[in-house]
Amino acid sequence: MKKVASILRYTILTLGALIMILPFFWMLSTSLKTQPETVQIPPVWIPKQLQWGNYVEAFKAAPFARYFVNSVIVTGVTTIGQLFTSILAAFAFSKLRFWGKNILFLIFLGTMMIPGEMLIIPNFVTLSNMHLVNTYGALILPWLASFFTVFTLRQTFNSVSDQTYFAAKIDGASDWRFLWHILVPMSKSTITAVTVLQVIGSWNAFMWPLIVTNDENMRTLPVGLQAFTTDAGTNFALLMAASTFVIIPMVVVYIFLQKYIIAGISNSGLKG
Amino acid sequence: MQVTFKDVTLSYDGKRDILKHLNFVIQEGSLVCLLGPSGGGKSTTLNLISGLLAPTGGHIFFDDADVTKKDALGRKVGMVFQNYALYPHLTVLKNIEFPLKMAKMSKADRTKRAKELAALVHVEDQLDKKPGELSGGQQQRVAIARALAKEPSILLLDEPLSNLDARLRIEMREEIRRIQRETGVTTVFVTHDQDEAMHISDQIMVLHDGHIQQFSTPKKLYASPDNLFVAQFIGEPVINSIPATALNHDLAGIVPDSILTQAQTAGIRPEALTLPQRALDPLVTLHGKVLEFDQFGRESTANIDYNGYQLISTEMSQLAHDTKELDFTLEKKGFFLFDADGKRIFGGDTPMVLVGDQSAQKDPAAAPTESGGDTHAE
Repeated sequence: MKKVASILRYTILTLGALIMILPFFWMLSTSLKTQPETVQIPPVWIPKQLQWGNYVEAFKAAPFARYFVNSVIVTGVTTIGQLFTSILAAFAFSKLRFWGKNILFLIFLGTMMIPGEMLIIPNFVTLSNMHLVNTYGALILPWLASFFTVFTLRQTFNSVSDQTYFAAKIDGASDWRFLWHILVPMSKSTITAVTVLQVIGSWNAFMWPLIVTNDENMRTLPVGLQAFTTDAGTNFALLMAASTFVIIPMVVVYIFLQKYIIAGISNSGLKG
Repeated sequence: MQVTFKDVTLSYDGKRDILKHLNFVIQEGSLVCLLGPSGGGKSTTLNLISGLLAPTGGHIFFDDADVTKKDALGRKVGMVFQNYALYPHLTVLKNIEFPLKMAKMSKADRTKRAKELAALVHVEDQLDKKPGELSGGQQQRVAIARALAKEPSILLLDEPLSNLDARLRIEMREEIRRIQRETGVTTVFVTHDQDEAMHISDQIMVLHDGHIQQFSTPKKLYASPDNLFVAQFIGEPVINSIPATALNHDLAGIVPDSILTQAQTAGIRPEALTLPQRALDPLVTLHGKVLEFDQFGRESTANIDYNGYQLISTEMSQLAHDTKELDFTLEKKGFFLFDADGKRIFGGDTPMVLVGDQSAQKDPAAAPTESGGDTHAE
C-alpha cells in the first residue's frame, strides 16, 4: 500500500514538474528552429539543426541593449524605492502608535482587492497630465508603493517582539536606528523574498510599460519583444530567442535566492 | 538612585485605574521585588519606573529630580525583559556593546567595557556567539550585561527567571543577587514567584488590584502581614484561614473581646500549630481530630479537623501514627486575626495584649499595625 502511494505521489509530482517545464522547453526548442519548423504539424520537439544564428539575428532586430538598460533602471529604482517606502510603512503599522492606525490599515488592505487593470486608466491620465508619458517617471512612479509588500513586512515585523523594540529604545536607539540596525537585519529573509518577487515582477512587467511608452528608447525588454510581431505575423523563432535572453537574468536571480523566496511566501501565508 | 512615586495613578482607557494612587520610596542600592498575582500591576509599575509608560496622574522622582515627563532613555534605566530581547543577528559582544555604541562611545572603549561586563556575568568565553547558540541562562546573563553597560541609574528586571527551568532559576537568582551586590545598582525585579522574591530581595512590594498591599522586608512580610491577602499570598504551604468565630470559644478570655468582636478571619501559619510538649510560646491549647498524617523525610503534614474546619500543620513530626484525637498548641507567632476589611488587628508585630495581661496597658486598637519606615498604599 505504502509503495503504491509513493509511486502515485511521484507520478503526480513528475507530471506537475513536466507541465511546468514544458513552456520553457518549448521556448528553448523554438528559439533554435528554422522558420518553417516553428509552425510545422506535427510539432517538432527537437530541431534537426540547431539555429544558433537566431540569437544573433534576434539581438540585432531591435535595440535590445537599450531595452536592457531601461529594464535595469526601472527594475532597480522601482524595487529599491518600493522597499524603502514599504519598510517605513510596515514599521509604522507594526510598532508605532498613532491615531487611526487600524482604520488606515484596513483601508490600505481594501486597496488590495482592486484589480490592477482598473488602475491603468486613472494612472495613465494622471501621469499624462503630469507630462510624464514616455519618461522613466511614468515607468517607475506608480510602483513606488505596494501594499502587498507593506503587509508582508508588517507580518514579519510583528513577529519581532515589542520587548525588543523597548530594549532598543532603552539602549538609546532612535526609531530610525532600531528600524535599520535591528528590525531590518532581523527580517532579512522576508525582505529578500519580497525584493526578489518585486524584481521579477518589475522585470516582467508588460502592460504598463507598453501603455506609457511609445518612444522606442523608453521601452523595456518585455515590450521590446513585440518587435517580432508585425501585421504580417510573428517570427516565433526570433521571438523565442529574444525571450530566452530576456528571462535569463531572472532565472539566475531565482536560482540563487529561491530559499528566501519560499521562506518569505510561506511566512506571510500569501501567494506571491 | 532613590526612586519615589508620589500619588501615581495609571489608567489605559481613562475609565478603569490599573494603578491607584501609588506612593512609595525605593532606597538607593537596594534590591526590591514587585510581587503579586498576574494583573496586579507589577509590570505596569515597572514600566512606569522605566519610562516606557507615562502615568495618568502623580509624579515620579529619581533622587530629587522629577522624571515624570522623561522617557526611558532620559531616565538612564537598564532593563532586562522576560524573553531577554537580545538582538539575534548580533554577537554577544555586539549585543553588550550596542547601548554604548548608541551613546557614541569609541570602539576601543566600548569593547573594553563590554568585556568587563561579560566577565562580571561570566559569559566572557561566549563573546563571538550569536544569542541563538546560547542556553537560556547564558542569554539571561548577556541581557543583564547589556542592561548594565551604560551604568544605569536603576536596573529593572521584568520576570527575568520565568523562562528558565527550576534548577537554573535558583542559580540565576543567586547570580542576580551577586551581580547586584557587586555593582551596588538599585534594582527592581518583577516576579509572581514568592519563593524567588523571598530569597533575593531586600524589600518586597506586594501589589494586588492596583494597590500596594504591603511594602516591607521579606521577613516582616511573612511574620507580620498587614492584611489577609498578603498572609495568604506569602508562605508555602498556604496559611490556614478559618472564620474567626470558629475560634471564639477557645480564645474567649485570652484575646480581648474588643478584638474578637471585630475579627472576621483567623490566619494560622502551618508551623504555628504544634504539639503541647514542643510548644515555644503558646497562646492557647486547642482540641481536634487527625484526618490525615503524612511524613516524608524531614517534613511532615498533619491535616487536623478543628470545629469542622481543616487545619494544616507542618510541626507535628512527633505525632504517633495511630493518633485519632489530640490536644495541640496554637503558638502566638504565626497567628493573626483580620477584620472584615482583611486588615490585621491581632498578631504579627502588633503588641499582643491579652486579657489579664498586667504588663501592657496599651489599648490594642490604638497600637500601630503598620510600622514606620515602610510606605503603604492609601
